[in-house]
Amino acid sequence: MTMKLQIAHANKLPSPTWFRLGINGTEIGETVPGIKPYGGKCLSKELPAGVEVSFDPFPAPEVSTGIGDEARDFAEDHRSCGATVRVPDGLKAEKPVFLGYRIDETNPAVVDVNTVVAGEGSEVTVVMSYTSPRDFAGFHAGLTKLYAGRNAVIRLVQVQLLGDGCVGWDDVGAVCAEGGEAGVIQAELGGRSAFAGVKAKLEGRASRLSLDSIYFGDRKRSIDINYVAQHIGRKTKSEIHASGALLDESRKTFRGTIDFLTGAKRAVGHESEYTLLFSPKVVNRSAPLILCAEEDVEGQHAASSGKVERNLLFYLMTRGLSELDAKKLLIEAQFRPVTDRIPDGALRDAVLDYVKERLGSIESVS
Amino acid sequence: MNASRKKTAVADIDRSVYDIRDRVDASYRVEEGLTPKIVNEIAVAKNDPEWMRLFRLKSLQVYNRLPMPGWGPPLDGLNMGEIVTYIRPNTQMRANWSEVPDDIKNTFERLGIPEAERKSLAGVGAQYDSEVVYHNVREEVRRQGVIYTDMESAIRDPEYGPMVKRHFMKLVPPEDHKFVALHGAVWSGGSFVYVPPGVQVEIPLQSYFRLNAPGAGQFEHTLIIVGDGASVHFIEGCSAPKYNVANLHAGCVELYVGKNARLRYSTIENWSKNMYNLNTKRALVEEGGTVEWVSGSFGSHTSYLYPMSILNGEGARMEFTGITFAGKGQELDTGAKVVHAAPHTYSNINTKSISKDGGWCTYRSSVVIPAGSHGCKSSVSCESLMLDDRSRSDTIPVMDIRNDDVDVGHEAKIGRISDDAIFYLMSRGISEEDARAMIVTGFAEPIAKELPVEYAVEMNNLIKLEMEGAIG
Repeated sequence: MTMKLQIAHANKLPSPTWFRLGINGTEIGETVPGIKPYGGKCLSKELPAGVEVSFDPFPAPEVSTGIGDEARDFAEDHRSCGATVRVPDGLKAEKPVFLGYRIDETNPAVVDVNTVVAGEGSEVTVVMSYTSPRDFAGFHAGLTKLYAGRNAVIRLVQVQLLGDGCVGWDDVGAVCAEGGEAGVIQAELGGRSAFAGVKAKLEGRASRLSLDSIYFGDRKRSIDINYVAQHIGRKTKSEIHASGALLDESRKTFRGTIDFLTGAKRAVGHESEYTLLFSPKVVNRSAPLILCAEEDVEGQHAASSGKVERNLLFYLMTRGLSELDAKKLLIEAQFRPVTDRIPDGALRDAVLDYVKERLGSIESVS
Repeated sequence: MNASRKKTAVADIDRSVYDIRDRVDASYRVEEGLTPKIVNEIAVAKNDPEWMRLFRLKSLQVYNRLPMPGWGPPLDGLNMGEIVTYIRPNTQMRANWSEVPDDIKNTFERLGIPEAERKSLAGVGAQYDSEVVYHNVREEVRRQGVIYTDMESAIRDPEYGPMVKRHFMKLVPPEDHKFVALHGAVWSGGSFVYVPPGVQVEIPLQSYFRLNAPGAGQFEHTLIIVGDGASVHFIEGCSAPKYNVANLHAGCVELYVGKNARLRYSTIENWSKNMYNLNTKRALVEEGGTVEWVSGSFGSHTSYLYPMSILNGEGARMEFTGITFAGKGQELDTGAKVVHAAPHTYSNINTKSISKDGGWCTYRSSVVIPAGSHGCKSSVSCESLMLDDRSRSDTIPVMDIRNDDVDVGHEAKIGRISDDAIFYLMSRGISEEDARAMIVTGFAEPIAKELPVEYAVEMNNLIKLEMEGAIG
């Protein structure tokens, strides 16, 4: 049994621009496998001491997310699995919580709703992975809500390694209290059509968002991203950095917004996006926004895209690499600063193997 | 207050010279509103050729069909039912200032137009409400074969009329958006410039647009054709006195830049703060050609202004340099658009904005590089200065790149005057007041130096700096 999925407004740009550019948002319209309760365990490793995990829906306060209300409500309404991670005040979890979701014949459609609540002064790392067989045509909708209490730190690592037939999204909403931090790593590497969104409300004084993202497009893969850092409190800080590589006929749309609200005095927001392009048929679209209603702030964004620098390529080729191998090496290098921060050797290796396998199938890049 | 976080006071633009109103002395005006009857009346009053009358009516149909823009500043205060779209002043077009009626002439004298013409311009056009009241070009420029005249004369000219018809609203068709469709229906006045191939016009031409009547619209059309290998600098100025009813400016500028030709188009826009400035400007640049936009936006209640360049031939270039200053009650949405429609084309956009006293600046841009346009380079830089927390400044750039052989960069900064910069300058023996003045002046300097001297002086007068002080 299948169902028709229709999200009319996803990844909406917080302030719209010319409609004809088609970048103000996107639709998600797919026929997806029927959703049923997840069969199997999603908690893949031993829990860190003191951290509580439950698998029932958690009545957390509503949170805005990067992909938007429609996608969030869809996930809430069709939840097939998910975990709630609660960290007591003051507890600094010594090891990560691992949640692994497998999309396959048993679970062709996975809608996971996850919540992380970090008490005052606590720290926790949650690592989530989404995998599937290489050519499997499945569906994944992930909603993750982060609540960082006073001086709490939540590190979220999301790795999406879905097969070529999959459609899916990773949608994150974060709320940070005074001194709280949401540190998010998103690796959007697989799937036929992938959507990613993060929205962080930096409500408390000196709260922070650090967001590092990598994406990889090849064949006819489509990647659509929307990141929003909303600075509400004083001295809040956001760092949004995305980088990726596009090959073949892949398409990517990146929207990144730093939004300084009135009262966010001394807030600082930085945003960057770097894209390497390897095919004359790629589509690379970017909209890096700064919205500013507060005078005493510092906001910066930078974006660049183009081919691999010739000098760099030449240097690598003088060391004996073929042009193709040199380019593959540079793509891998583009991802390394982020993959190196995945706090689990096995998952890190899986990511690198996944990228290498995909690169291995490439016979030429322009 | 902590000395290191004092704020720089930047005075409101001194508008006294622009705000002097003349008595409205129209020889003809249409009723308020926008109907086929009114559009027909304008066509008859202007003695349009039949093709133009039909074009106006078709444009009106497009206007009625198209929706209001749903992405920019609000246009709620603009009621087309209350706008008078055509007002003919009580004079004919003259080529000698002494023949222009005194009140109109005095207005342009106060704005410094005749003096600038004597000192540093190759030709001047002056429009008052809906019609051009003065047009003249220096004899030596005329001898070069340069045509600089009002649009109505150009359309009726047996030699240049067919050229105008071939180009008129072909680059910016009425279907482009609602307010350019409005322009197509009710346009009046503006300038036509033709520079023959290979001709270099050494000193600038200038058109000045003055809207005097309350509740009126100005819809001038500027068409410039620069032949292969030719060059010209065109300056556009505009102003209006302030009224407590909405005025509307929906002009249209079409620029055709031939192979290896160069066109610099400079604008100082200083409309009154009851003006909705919904202007459309576009350039088509052929192989090896260059268009340079220099744009200062200071006036208007609401602006939508994004000069667009279509780089249509290999090696074509565009440079955009702009500054926007939004004060109390102003929402100025400005920026630039470029389409790299040919390989090896280059664009460079550099903008600054200052928001104060509740003003709202938005920088909006698009850089589009289609598939097949290989070897293109584009660089965009925008900087915004916020002078208080009642104001707002947004940057909304978009890049749409559809091939890999490109080099595209974008950077933007937003913030207040840097304490570190003040501290550094003070450590070099400069007073805090002077340091602040230096920083704000330096912020606007890259734009000022691109303007003709008189306009740079005007801009500095417009942004009158009062250091040390009062805000916050």
